Amino acid sequence: MTPALSLRLNAVGLLAVSAVLIFAFADQFFFNDLPCPLCILQRAAFVVAGFGLALNLRFGPRASHYALLLIGALAGAVIASRQILIHIVPGTGTYGSALLGLHFYSWAFVIFVVMVLGTAVMLLFDRQFADGEDSADRLTVLSKVAFVLFGLLALGNGLSTVLECAGGLCPDNPTGYLLLG
Amino acid sequence: MMSIPFFLVVAALAAAWFDHRAASLAFWAAGLLALLLLFRAHATDVLNLVL
Repeated sequence: MTPALSLRLNAVGLLAVSAVLIFAFADQFFFNDLPCPLCILQRAAFVVAGFGLALNLRFGPRASHYALLLIGALAGAVIASRQILIHIVPGTGTYGSALLGLHFYSWAFVIFVVMVLGTAVMLLFDRQFADGEDSADRLTVLSKVAFVLFGLLALGNGLSTVLECAGGLCPDNPTGYLLLG
Repeated sequence: MMSIPFFLVVAALAAAWFDHRAASLAFWAAGLLALLLLFRAHATDVLNLVL
């Protein structure tokens, strides 16, 4: 795998992470499905994990950048599995909507596992690391779009969380945006 | 408070965009730490499970 192909795949991966965040935003704003604290932390874990892909786009593919992705995805998987375990016993309730039979926290766990697997597959290809120079001067349009979109979504999630939870910890079952009355 | 991980990663992205890789990694590490501490603050209930 050439460094250029690796960068394209990283850009696609970052767009996929952004798509997850956009989907969560759409559910929040169009269906008024406010994210619970653990849901917010899972979103944050997607942002923390996606940062590894963004670094690959900016500085070129490096094993250390993939390591950041793995750490973020594992943290997200732990948080999602905690929420799954809270609701795993029948009759203990659920949180939020279900999509194709799985709740969002279950999907989040699946996606975090896919991210770990995808990263492991990417790490199989050593030739992507052959080009040691920074990729700053050869950021493609696709890479720039993915990087900026991801940054805007991270910022948007931060602002949305401030609106929902104000300055403290979020309520366990949020019913509205604290800063909007 | 729960927005801190997002803003730290935004800072990390901004640092990366402007070619400050070391600062970017420091912001990311702080964001990860904030995420883990917030998770610890929210994962206090004992799960009624037999594993």
